[in-house]
Amino acid sequence: MNDIPQQLVNGLTNGSLYALIAVGYTVVYGIVQLINFAHGEVFMIGAFGALSTWFLLFRDNTSVWVLPVMIAGAIAASVATAVIMERIAYRPLRHAPRLAPLITAIGISVFLQEFVRLFYGTIPGFPSAKSKIPFPAIDGVTGSPFHLGSVVIQRPALFTMGALLVCGLFLGWFINKTKQGRAMQAVSQDPDTARLMGIDVDRIIVIAFALGAALAAIAGVAQGLQNNNIDFKMGFMAGLKAFTAAVLGGIGNIQGAVVGGLTLGVAEALATVFVTGAWKDVFAFGLLILVLVFRPQGLLGARVVDRA
Amino acid sequence: MSTTVDRADGANSPDSSAPAPAPRATGKGVPLAYAGSGLMTASALMSWCYDPDVLGDLTLYGNPAPVQLTMLVLGLLGLVLAMSAKGPLRRLGAGLDTSRGAFRLGLGAVAYMALTLAAITAQAGGLVNADPGAWVALVGSLVLVVAGRLGVSRPSRNIGAMRAKGWVEILVLVALVAIALLLVADGLTLRDPWAFVLLLLGVGAAAAGLAGANAFTWLGVTASYHSRVLTLAAFVAAFAFPLTQNGSDANMSIATQVIIFSATALGLNIVVGLAGLLDLGYIAFLGAGAYVGAILSGSAFATIDWQPPFLVTVIIGALFSALLGLIIGSPTLRVSGDYLAIVTLAFGEIFRLAMFNLDGNNGPKITNGPNGIPAIPELNFFGFDFGVTHHLFGIPITRFSNYYLLLLCVIALIIVIFSNLNNSRIGRGWVAIREDEKAADAMGVNVFGLKLLAFAGGAFLAGLAGTIKAHHDVSVTPDQYQFLESAFLLAAVVLGGMGTVGGVLLGAVVLKLLPEKLRFFSEYRLLIFGLLLVLMMRFRPEGLVASKRRKLEFHEDDEHLADKVQTIHLEEKTS
Repeated sequence: MNDIPQQLVNGLTNGSLYALIAVGYTVVYGIVQLINFAHGEVFMIGAFGALSTWFLLFRDNTSVWVLPVMIAGAIAASVATAVIMERIAYRPLRHAPRLAPLITAIGISVFLQEFVRLFYGTIPGFPSAKSKIPFPAIDGVTGSPFHLGSVVIQRPALFTMGALLVCGLFLGWFINKTKQGRAMQAVSQDPDTARLMGIDVDRIIVIAFALGAALAAIAGVAQGLQNNNIDFKMGFMAGLKAFTAAVLGGIGNIQGAVVGGLTLGVAEALATVFVTGAWKDVFAFGLLILVLVFRPQGLLGARVVDRA
Repeated sequence: MSTTVDRADGANSPDSSAPAPAPRATGKGVPLAYAGSGLMTASALMSWCYDPDVLGDLTLYGNPAPVQLTMLVLGLLGLVLAMSAKGPLRRLGAGLDTSRGAFRLGLGAVAYMALTLAAITAQAGGLVNADPGAWVALVGSLVLVVAGRLGVSRPSRNIGAMRAKGWVEILVLVALVAIALLLVADGLTLRDPWAFVLLLLGVGAAAAGLAGANAFTWLGVTASYHSRVLTLAAFVAAFAFPLTQNGSDANMSIATQVIIFSATALGLNIVVGLAGLLDLGYIAFLGAGAYVGAILSGSAFATIDWQPPFLVTVIIGALFSALLGLIIGSPTLRVSGDYLAIVTLAFGEIFRLAMFNLDGNNGPKITNGPNGIPAIPELNFFGFDFGVTHHLFGIPITRFSNYYLLLLCVIALIIVIFSNLNNSRIGRGWVAIREDEKAADAMGVNVFGLKLLAFAGGAFLAGLAGTIKAHHDVSVTPDQYQFLESAFLLAAVVLGGMGTVGGVLLGAVVLKLLPEKLRFFSEYRLLIFGLLLVLMMRFRPEGLVASKRRKLEFHEDDEHLADKVQTIHLEEKTS
C-alpha cells in the first residue's frame, strides 16, 4: 500500500490528459448538444501534427525551444481537422434526427484513423504509421525523473499537469472575459435569443470546435512525450476515457470536465492499487455506467441532459 | 396522361427536383435513344480488344464474352426504354419516366465503358489495343446520355398505380429473384478483380436506369402486394445457392461469412432501425454468445466440463447475451439516447478486455485470455454431423454449406420476428419512440419497457447467432469482437437502409463480399466505410433501400412524400 502516493501522482497525470481532451467534448456538447465522437481522433491528429512539424523543421534537434513550435504545429493540425469536420460533416446535419450526426461521427472517426494509418507513411521522409512511431524526446521535458521522497515524478508528467493548469487558466479567462467567450455562454444558454442579440451562432460553434481541438492537440503532444511513441489508434481509448470524464463531471460544464478528468485518473490509479492494473479500463467504464445510473447530471452538475 | 395533369402534379410538389414540365418535346430524344441503345446492343457482338487475354476473350465477332453480355443487357434495356417512349411498348411508357431512365442508364454505361477501357489499357498495355467494338459501345452510351437529356423528364407519373395481372407480377418477381441468384453465383466465380468490378458496375448501371425510370416504384408497390411470394422466392433461391456450387468450398466459405454477418446486421437492424437505439457494442453480444457456445462445446480447451445438447447451448448463449443487454440497458436507457451509444461502446470494450483478462492470471480462468478457446468441435444435430459432406440428390453439401443452411434458417427466424414486430403494437411503439419519445410517453407508450425489450431482444438474437458462429469459426478469441466490427455492422445497416430487411441484407452482402473479392479493396475498406457513413448521412440518410416511413423522418419538409406515405398507409388499411 505504500505506493499510494506514487499512484496518486500517476493518476493526476493521466487525469490531466483526460481533462484536456474532455474539455473538447464538453464545450461542443454545451453549445450544439452533439457528442463529437471523432474528438479522440482530433487528439491523435494533434500528436501527429507535432511529430510532422518536428520531422519537417527540426529533424534530430531536441532542444527545448523546439517544443513550442511543435505545439503550434499540433494545434494547427487539430484545429484544421476539427473545423473542416464541423463545416463538411456536422453543419449540414444540424437539424437532422439525432442518429445522423452520431453515425457521421463514427464514420469520421474510422476515416481519420485509417487515413493516418494508410497515408502518413506515403509523405516523403515520414515513417509509416502502420505501427507505433517513436516520438522525439525533447530535452528538459523528458529525461531523468524528479524524486520526492519515495515518489518518482516523470518530467513529461509535470509537463502534462502544467499544460492543464495553463490551459485551465486560459479557458477561464477566455470564457468569462472575452467577447467570444461570453457569446459562447450565451449560445449555450439559448441559441435563438443569442442569434437575436446579434451573435453569429455558426461562428461560435466553429470557435467551440477549434477551442476543444487546440486543447486536444496539447494533450496529444503530452501523450507523445509521456509514452515516447504515438500511433493511429491512440485516439480511440483516450477519447472514450475523456468522454467518461466529461460525463463524470457533468457534460456541458467546463470546470466539470477538469474535475471529472482528474477524478477519473485518480480513481483508475486507485483501482490499480486495490484490484489489478489489468482491470483498470473496465473499472473506468464501470464508473461511467454507475454515474449514469445515480447521477446522470455528473459530479458538478450541468443542465440535465434532456434530449431523447 | 396529358400535359396539363403533369403540370398540376408539378405544382403540388414545388420542392421536388423535377424541372417544370415543358410542352411535349420528346420527339428529339427518341430517335437518338434508339440509335444509342442500338449501337450499345450491336457493340456487344463486335470485338472489343485486340488481346485475347484481357477480361476473358473479347476479340470475337458474334460471340460475346460475359463483359460484353452485360453491355448487351444494358443496350436491350435502353431499347425497351426507347420503345416505351415511342414505339410498341407505349402502354408501358405511360408510367415510366423514360428520359430520366435513359439518361441515367447512359451515364452508367459510360462509366462501365470507361472502366473497361481502363482495364484494357492497364492489362494489354495501352489504349491502342481497344478494338472498334469498345468505341462503338462508348459512343452508343454517350448518345443515350444525350437522348435522355433532350427528352422531358416526367417524374410525377404514377406507375405505382399500374397493375398487371396477378400471375404476371408474380412471374416478374420470381424472374428477378432468379436473375439475382444467377448474378451472385456467377459473380462469385469471377477471379479477375476487373471483371468483378465491371459486373458490379453493370448491375449498378442497369439499376440506375431502372430507378431513373421509376421502375423501382412499381417494383416496390408490386413487391409489397406479393411480399410473401417474394420472400419465399428469395429463400428458395438462397437455399438453392449451395446446390449451384457443386461441392466447391471456395465460394461457400465466403457465403457463410456473408450470411453470419447478415444475420448479425439484421439483429442490429431491430435495435437501430426499428427502435432507433444506437448500439455500438453489438458485436460484444455476438461475442458473448460465441463464448458461451465455445465454453459449452466440449472443446478440449473449454473451461467448463459440461456439454449440453446444442439446442440448450443456443438458448443459454442467447439468454446470457440478453441478460448482459438488460444489465447494460436498464441504467442507460433511462437517460438520453446519446449516452446509450457511448455506454454500449464502452461495454464493447469492457467485454473484450474482460475476455482478455479472464485468463487465470488476472482473473478466474474462463476464456484463456488472448489465446481464446480453439478446437471447438463441429456441430452435431441429432446425429447430423455438420463437419462432413452430405449428399442431396447426388449433389454434395459440404461443411460450409451445412452451416450456411443452418444460418439461413436463423435469418429466416429473424426476418419473421422482425416483420411481425414491425407491424405489431410493439413495433408501432418503437417507431413512436424513435420519432418523438416525449410524445410517445404522453400517448401512453411504455417507453422504458419497449426500449429495454428492443435492446435485450437484439442482444438475444446476436447471442443466438454467436453460438453458431463459434462452431463455424472453430476458435473464439477476444480480437474477433473489437469495436471496428460493430462499426462495420452499423455501416451495413446504414448503407442498406435502417429499418428494412431487404436493404440491410443488401448492405451486409455488399460490405462483406467486396473485401473478400477485391484484395486491393480490403486494405482500404475501413477508410471507404468511414467515408461511406459520412456521405450516406449527408446525402441519403435513409439508405439505399429506404422504408417510406424512415425516409419521411429524414426529409421532414417534403410534403409530397408525406402525402405519398399517407396514401400508402390508407391503402394498407382499406385492402
